[in-house]
Amino acid sequence: MLRPVLLSVLVAATAATNTLVLVDTLATRETHSIFLKSLQERGHELSVKAADDPSLQLSRYGEYLYQNLVILAPGVEEFGGALSVETIVEFIDGGGNVLVAGSRDAADLIRELVTEVGVEMDEEGAAVIDHLHYDANDDGQHTLIAAPSSGLIDSEVMVGSKDATPLLYRGTGLITDAENPLVLPVLRAPSTAYCYNPTQPITDYPHATGQNMLLVAALQARNNARVVVSGSLEFFSDAFIMASVQTPQNERHEKSGNGKVVEALSRWVFMEEGVLRVVSVDHHLVGQKQPPIAYTIKQDVEYKIKVERLVEGEWKPFIAKDLQMEFVRIDPFVRLTMTPSSEGVFSVKFKVPDVYGVYQFKVEYNRVGFTRLFSTTQVSVRPFTHLEYERFIECAYPYYASAFSMMIGVFLFSLVFLHHKEPQKTKGD
Amino acid sequence: MMSAPVLNYRTRGWMRMSVEKQDTLLKMAVLSLAAVLSFSCRLFSVLRFESVIHEFDPYFNYRTTKFLAEEGFYNFHNWFDDRAWYPLGRIIGGTIYPGLMVTSASIYHILNWLNVSIDVRNVCVFLAPLFSSLTTLVTYHLAKELKGPGAGLVAAVMIAIVPGYISRSVAGSYDNEGIAIFCMLLTYYMWIKAVKTGTLFWSTMAALAYFYMVSSWGGYVFLINIIPLHVLTLMVTGRFSHRVYVAYSTLYVIGTILSMQISFVGFQPVSTSEHMGAFGVFGLCQIHAFVDYVRSRLNKVQFEVLFRAVISTVAVTGVLVLVVLTALGKIAPWTGRFYSLLDPSYAKNNIPIIASVSEHQPTAWSSFYFDLQMLTFMFPVGLYFCFSSLTDENIFIILYGVLSIYFAGVMVRLMLVLAPVMCILSGIAVSSMLTTYMKQIDEVKTEKKKAKFEGNYFMRSEIATFFVCIMSVFLVMYTLHCTWVTSEAYSSPSIVLSARGHDGSRIIFDDFREAYYWLRHNTPEDAKVMSWWDYGYQITAMANRTILVDNNTWNNTHISRVGQAMASTEDKAYEIMRELDVDYVLVIFGGLTGYSSDDINKFLWMVRIGGSTEKGTHIKEHDYYTPAGEFRVDKEGSPTLLNCLMYKMCYYRFGQVYTEGGKPPGYDRVRNVEIGNKDFELDVLEEAYTTEHWIVRIYKVKDLPNRGA
Repeated sequence: MLRPVLLSVLVAATAATNTLVLVDTLATRETHSIFLKSLQERGHELSVKAADDPSLQLSRYGEYLYQNLVILAPGVEEFGGALSVETIVEFIDGGGNVLVAGSRDAADLIRELVTEVGVEMDEEGAAVIDHLHYDANDDGQHTLIAAPSSGLIDSEVMVGSKDATPLLYRGTGLITDAENPLVLPVLRAPSTAYCYNPTQPITDYPHATGQNMLLVAALQARNNARVVVSGSLEFFSDAFIMASVQTPQNERHEKSGNGKVVEALSRWVFMEEGVLRVVSVDHHLVGQKQPPIAYTIKQDVEYKIKVERLVEGEWKPFIAKDLQMEFVRIDPFVRLTMTPSSEGVFSVKFKVPDVYGVYQFKVEYNRVGFTRLFSTTQVSVRPFTHLEYERFIECAYPYYASAFSMMIGVFLFSLVFLHHKEPQKTKGD
Repeated sequence: MMSAPVLNYRTRGWMRMSVEKQDTLLKMAVLSLAAVLSFSCRLFSVLRFESVIHEFDPYFNYRTTKFLAEEGFYNFHNWFDDRAWYPLGRIIGGTIYPGLMVTSASIYHILNWLNVSIDVRNVCVFLAPLFSSLTTLVTYHLAKELKGPGAGLVAAVMIAIVPGYISRSVAGSYDNEGIAIFCMLLTYYMWIKAVKTGTLFWSTMAALAYFYMVSSWGGYVFLINIIPLHVLTLMVTGRFSHRVYVAYSTLYVIGTILSMQISFVGFQPVSTSEHMGAFGVFGLCQIHAFVDYVRSRLNKVQFEVLFRAVISTVAVTGVLVLVVLTALGKIAPWTGRFYSLLDPSYAKNNIPIIASVSEHQPTAWSSFYFDLQMLTFMFPVGLYFCFSSLTDENIFIILYGVLSIYFAGVMVRLMLVLAPVMCILSGIAVSSMLTTYMKQIDEVKTEKKKAKFEGNYFMRSEIATFFVCIMSVFLVMYTLHCTWVTSEAYSSPSIVLSARGHDGSRIIFDDFREAYYWLRHNTPEDAKVMSWWDYGYQITAMANRTILVDNNTWNNTHISRVGQAMASTEDKAYEIMRELDVDYVLVIFGGLTGYSSDDINKFLWMVRIGGSTEKGTHIKEHDYYTPAGEFRVDKEGSPTLLNCLMYKMCYYRFGQVYTEGGKPPGYDRVRNVEIGNKDFELDVLEEAYTTEHWIVRIYKVKDLPNRGA
């Protein structure tokens, strides 16, 4: 089934993308100009507004005015206009994409918002501290982290190609909801990091430590809306993108990795990268064109699905070797890897199992960074009709012979019995 | 003006008729009146409500009949229904007795061919009354063969109104039993004829009638056991003759071959233990006939020697073969159903799905009187009269009576098999007694002198008159009772409920149809509805939606899965519902109206059935009871019960509702308690629709949360 979400993605890809950027102070426009400019260059119609602007609204007459929302306002106590945590959550459920940046002093509003997407920011005032991975420009508290790029998620679609450049980060740590299977760890903190208020003595065990702590998290909702949460507003700033990095181990990099990652991540979150769609599904008997009303058991079936991928704003055939089709009746009876063609049509031929029932052709393709491909087509599989069984089976020939010989025998016997005259009688006459 | 001469002419005509003609006329009149009566007394529900199909199974039969009438026989035969038992599906053609559908579809086509436009539903609604009229006629003929026309007439009139039969054949109760009783009595009649005459013609007719019976009801097994038993009894009592030989051999061979043509029956007649009796008796028949032949050719001493030798070798080898085969596992052990007939508690202890059906419960003593009234007392009298003049055919009716009274005691639904024989035996009894005493009334007038000498027969005529009067009173009482029972107990179409208001007016609860039509018009075409199996047939027939389980309880594990969902907590149930692609859940709730056969009262069966399979071992019946072992929904109730899906679906928002004056909100009028768990929210379901009187509640299964857990 073609999901409506995919259709809306199509619209987003062709028309100009409207993106609302919320900021604490308009100065953010200057401090984050590289990031914002790159968005503009990629075709986003940016509206930069103060987060407490009383004229804010996401939708009008039930239609969303924006496809994307960027919240670079960690300090906002209350959104202006019609905006609230509920409306933003609704926006996500309605298919909108959101990028949120927090900070050490992020307001409760932002914390509340990120909990809705399965991420928790550490306590107010707490900052990520790492005594082994910090930048030379650090003020002594070791809160300017130079996170090694090995902590990045293993997905080129989301964070671009990896190189060894560390990423600069200053802000709070993120913990994910362990029960939420949809949250993705985009950037893990180094194993030596922990999160605590740097100005206070450490009295109890920090909430977030080491690899369990995230610096950047992402969520791809079931309707394929995407959300990125970062604990650091500066992560996206010009200063960090342009900065050079020097680690305590005296590794020196001319330029931090932030620029590349921010670029890639924003492409991902705003549905410019890693977007797939099912164009058409087709199934029929081998050698035919149209699907029958119901399949019969043991028939040979061909299943085709056409998948496309969004590349530079255009739908191109998707090619992969690991797309599988399942033929499911509660449990999958058949699970086969499909062969792709250059037009993006995946096809597979198989024999319907010898079990009747209501089946579904199911294609589920979940890969990190890609939209969820999900297609299900329900078909009925019926048993043989009374004419489809084998009519003459070899091992039954003796029975046929015996039945017919019996019939002939009885017929002959009754002929003899009825027309035989006792010889004595004829003599007597 | 014209009527007087006509009447006059008629009177003269009547007078002029010979006794035989008068007799025939009288018989015809009584019979046709009985037939009309049996038709019309089954119409209470149609007149009170409307021409509507009742209960649960009839809805399936109606749906299949419609399919047959529209699509033709071969499509019907090959029909694979993907709307039922999702996602398993059901082969309708191979899992039903098609006799009922074929009968009504033929009637439908014939009537339409005659340009009588009638729709399938009306044919279905009135089929059972029509066939009960025919039953009346067949009963007359059967009883006539057994005892004479008098007994036949009494039996016919009795069966026309006997509640035990009416309960399954009122208008709208479109079920197999409606025609099966006719088929059964027809087969018996043909069989008696065949035994009496010993002709191939009647035996073949019996086989054909048997085929019709097989095609229409699973109860044919009773028939194929009682006829061999009759033959066996005749052999044992030394009444075996060529007539019986011809009758039984023909019936068995033709009947078995014909019965195997019904695809639901298939190879059962040659493979299952229920049919082995008939096969064994067929073999015995041949041996008996052969022995008779040998005996006629040999002298007595020679025969004795031969006979003993053969018998002992056969017995020894037979036992050996049996032991060896059983040891090798070639002979199937007795099936559960057989045990449940012999030991009524077998099914209850071992197969919850069989025991959960109310009509499989043992019969209460009171229901014998309720369904049969005076027949209960007349039955032994009839047996006495049969024993007093023993014939081949009387032995049959004695066997039939005794066996069916046992089976009726085991299962409520077999009351249906008992009712006809009760009527026949009572017909014999009443007619024999009345004949005796009526004669005495007449005799007295002519033979007054003679009476003086017979001291025993003091006041003979008075006693006779008195007896006849008493008998008439009994018969009138019987009629009144039957009419009352029919009208009060058996004429409500459980699809539309009615109750009496405070002022005595009739209140109609049409919630079922309201809910089914809601489903039909407001849910997607391919929506899957989960409900307890009782409502499956109705949902497919009326709402036209896919269902998970229905009244054809062929797959225990699937029903068990639904039971598990109902008995689990929301989280567990959600997993099961996702696995089965459930979109909507439907429950029946009577707490607001006091409708007692709702899902909470059936809930223990869901627990038992849910816990009866491997996947449901975590569901244990005692978790749903209070520590004192009670099933309660109030504050004392077990927490497992108060938090399971079924409880939550039934009582969602019920805690805020006032049901009865002077009682707290959330007062359940069926259980007569205030419910224990009042303010709760549903996590995985949302209420989609609740009918006017809250009898049917429909919930929609939510999708997985969009942003994860």
